[in-house]
Amino acid sequence: MIELTDVTRSYGTGSAVLALKNISLSVGAAERVAVMGPSGSGKSTLLNLICGLDEPTTGSVKVDGVELSGLTDDGRTRLRREKIGMIFQTFNLLPTLTALENVALPLRLQGLSKKDAEGRASSMLSHVGLKGRVIHRPDELSGGERQRVAIARALIFRPPLLLGDEPTGNLDSHTGAEILRLLDDLQQEYQSTLLMVTHNAEAAGYCNRVITLHDGEIVNDVPCGAAVARGQG
Amino acid sequence: MTPALWQVTSRQWRTHRLRVAMTTLGIALGVAVFFAVRTANAALLDSLTLTVERLAGKSTLEVTAGETGFPEETLDTVRATPGVQLAEPVIEVIVHTAFQDEGNLLILGVDTTGDQQLRQYEFDRSQSQIGDPLTYLADPRSILLSQAFADRHGLHIGDHLPLFTSHGKMDFTVQGLFKPTGVGEVFGGNIAVMDIYSAQTVFGRGHNFDRIDLMNTPAVPVEELQKSLHARLPAGIEVMRPEMAGQALANAVTAMRLGMLITSFIALLVGVYIIFNSFTIAVNQRWKEIGILRAIGVERGKINAMFMGEAAIMGVVGSGLGIAVGYYLASGANRVMGSVAASVYGIVSTAVAPRLHADLVLTSLALGVAASLGGAWFPARAASYLDPILALHNIEARQRESAVGFGRTALGITLLAISMLLIQYSPSGVGLVFEFSYAALMLLGLTILLPTLVHWAARAIRPAMDFVGGSEGALAVDAMIQSPRRSAATVGALMVGLMFVFSTASYIQSYKHMIDRWTREMLNADLVVATSTLLRSTSYHFSEDLGNRIAALPEVQRVENVRFTIVPYRDDTAAIAAQDMDGFLARSANAVLGGNRKTVNDLLPRGQGVLVSKNFAARWRARVGDRVHLNTPTGALDLPILGLVEDYRSDKGTIFLDRAVYKHFWKDDAVDFVDITLKPGESPPAVKQEIQRLTAGSEHAIVYTNSEFRNWIGSLVDTFFILNYMQLVVAVIVAVVGIANTLIISVAERRREFGIVRAIGGYCSQIRRMVLLEAFSISVVGVIVGAIAALFNIQFMSHTVSTILAGYDVPFYFPWKLILEAFPAVIAVSLLAGWIPARHAMQVPVIEAIGYE
Repeated sequence: MIELTDVTRSYGTGSAVLALKNISLSVGAAERVAVMGPSGSGKSTLLNLICGLDEPTTGSVKVDGVELSGLTDDGRTRLRREKIGMIFQTFNLLPTLTALENVALPLRLQGLSKKDAEGRASSMLSHVGLKGRVIHRPDELSGGERQRVAIARALIFRPPLLLGDEPTGNLDSHTGAEILRLLDDLQQEYQSTLLMVTHNAEAAGYCNRVITLHDGEIVNDVPCGAAVARGQG
Repeated sequence: MTPALWQVTSRQWRTHRLRVAMTTLGIALGVAVFFAVRTANAALLDSLTLTVERLAGKSTLEVTAGETGFPEETLDTVRATPGVQLAEPVIEVIVHTAFQDEGNLLILGVDTTGDQQLRQYEFDRSQSQIGDPLTYLADPRSILLSQAFADRHGLHIGDHLPLFTSHGKMDFTVQGLFKPTGVGEVFGGNIAVMDIYSAQTVFGRGHNFDRIDLMNTPAVPVEELQKSLHARLPAGIEVMRPEMAGQALANAVTAMRLGMLITSFIALLVGVYIIFNSFTIAVNQRWKEIGILRAIGVERGKINAMFMGEAAIMGVVGSGLGIAVGYYLASGANRVMGSVAASVYGIVSTAVAPRLHADLVLTSLALGVAASLGGAWFPARAASYLDPILALHNIEARQRESAVGFGRTALGITLLAISMLLIQYSPSGVGLVFEFSYAALMLLGLTILLPTLVHWAARAIRPAMDFVGGSEGALAVDAMIQSPRRSAATVGALMVGLMFVFSTASYIQSYKHMIDRWTREMLNADLVVATSTLLRSTSYHFSEDLGNRIAALPEVQRVENVRFTIVPYRDDTAAIAAQDMDGFLARSANAVLGGNRKTVNDLLPRGQGVLVSKNFAARWRARVGDRVHLNTPTGALDLPILGLVEDYRSDKGTIFLDRAVYKHFWKDDAVDFVDITLKPGESPPAVKQEIQRLTAGSEHAIVYTNSEFRNWIGSLVDTFFILNYMQLVVAVIVAVVGIANTLIISVAERRREFGIVRAIGGYCSQIRRMVLLEAFSISVVGVIVGAIAALFNIQFMSHTVSTILAGYDVPFYFPWKLILEAFPAVIAVSLLAGWIPARHAMQVPVIEAIGYE
């Protein structure tokens, strides 16, 4: 599903900052991968490259067999819309739209009619446990509810790849655990590939593989025991 | 502002240069228009004062009687008054030269010998005095020319100058040349001097003078002499200081100056909305920064001071910029005002370049800073009252606005209702400050209601926007529905601009309808012969002989000689239309309103009563049956008002009087218009040609058929409204800058939103569409709200402003057609204004924007 080959990303000129150094990485379909590492290790840069928001300085990034460097901006946007669901630490919901409208937004951007888009968004919100909160705006929802809306929005296209950037980073431990269970259930249901950047060991525990980055390099790439065990169990 | 907070501010400004620039530009534009108009106004007054000073010379008092002049015996009375050192009579005439492409020439008829003690004529060096004084005095066709005029036409001493006089075209002999200083500066150098008694003859002044300029003896103070002259002269003759004559001229163009002043305040007002908008957005953008500052112990007062300090600095910089730009704009405004003063009011002025008036600079600076502080007041207050805990939360956690609450709506409606009651029922003439406070109340009410109006207008168009624009359309309107206060300032700027456009257009339209009705009912002669292509000439007139010659034509049934002039009335002036009332009633009896028809028919032609125009009646609160008291140069004239008529030639009001009575009391038989009724079946264009042949080479006569005359009046109305058209242009420019400003600021504000949309799969083109749709929705809501505001402002303009400017109401007319036409125009302009911001929005870096708060 994800194929990175000798990817380097540097910022600035001259004595440029190397955010990623010759990273090569392969993530298979329906895999659940946690990317861990200290601040500044290159986790977010990696995520941005995979979703096509950023471009590597050198190397190749393939998603679902598509080489991103060969795509135009609109091509990468289409890929992001149809094949990648994104979940952010800060939720990134549009404050003026209701939960329903936020979830329906990607469908409507795709050109679906309002009625159809909102119908599908409503089912997805029910699916993430927000049936009674569809007409509420983000400021009327709790942190956990907002992240559920963000997850619903990310999954509205049933994307094969789900990217999470610290999805529980802004939540208390109880709510965070709920969100992780929800992600776990949905990943199993949709069989999406999940790649999640996290500092949280509990979150990493829901994955079957943990990659550790340090100073832009992969220093560790191991299976996660708990998840593997749970998967086997 | 403390140095630490100044550091925060300066960093913000560095980060948001465009927003700071647009905000400063908003205030600069308002101040520029304000400063330009006020400077041009001052230049016009300087010009009028300079003209009066140059023409008055060293005289300390002037004796006048409006435009009609007074009998020459008055000079003996003046000279015999103790304390008069020197008194010199003057006749002022603007004549048409018979040169092609040459305009008018101002002729001063004076007693040259005595007059040189009063006025500065610098005669040519080769001519120590007038060429040959004896020849000059002996020949009634002698003339002294300004060197400037002579040079323009290659004229030398001894050459002939052809001029149109009341007795036809005549050749005058140049007997001397004076330099372009002193009197020679007046009227752009188009000035000539001739003997006063010759001027009386050739310009049909009979035995009248226009003015006496005098000097007092050192022993008698000017005030004392003024009183004793007042006591000796008839009540219709005024004695005033020359500078007061300048003031009188300035008063004559009050309507035009007021109109320009209103424009300048509108521009400043729109500037306030732009500042308000910009600061509201700045507070929103800096929500988290404010929260952090509050959290680390910065007091509310200091947050407030930080924003007000920013506003003050922007106000000073914007005002400085505005003053600099305004100074250059003033030349253009000055030209337009001078041209309107000349064409509509017939006022002679001397070209004066706009000067930098220190008091105007300070006033503009103060107003610019005050407007900036006023615009920033509420946002700064809101910033200082921000809850730090809430401010530190995510953008999604921000509370929704409570701008559409019941209390706010009720207050807005109450203020609007009070303003409408005042406009409708308060008496006229209570003072400009009071009368303009009605509009201030109305605007305040509308401003308070703006968020509600924006909210509901946006809700009304949301389904259509959603249907037409899809999710981008809905997103564009949602911002307005959810945050009406944030959009209100932009829509407010647009509202003020469009309100002004709609209501001015309505006013012009109403006025034109009225003028059309008036010309149909009152100006219905088959042919009209006029002295000038302007409304009238203040000094060039026909003699009655022209009427007699026209009456002799076989096609002509009746000829009416009309004198239209301005005379002193009470402490102001009024127009007099003196004509043969039999002829007038034969044509326009149905135009007489009120009064008894039989009484009017009996008394009016016998000179035993007058008709007055409706604006005269409104100005002086006069009714049929009241008496009009006129102080004429030969004594008092007291006549009853027999009826009312519509007449819009003078904003001071018009008194219709039988010509015989006028001639008797004013000793003036001049003619300004000749109204001609043809025999049935005769062709007006054919007779027009015949009259043109009759007057060719003698009178400077402009002959109009009825339809041409009405079109001509219409074009004069358009000339008068040129200032209003300029106002419309200013309003539209300011509104466009407002839209562009808002969209640029909005793009900066919505970076995160665009980033999110891009992150979840929105194309660049969809982002552009979102911005353009926002521009579209702002313009649609702006037109709707502008039309609602215009509804109230038309009431103000058609009632209060009209009464101030013209002395009467104009009918209420709602410009539906224009509003409908405005939709595509405003939308197109908005989309144009939104194009660059839309391109900026497309280039928003997604990663940075998502992290941006």
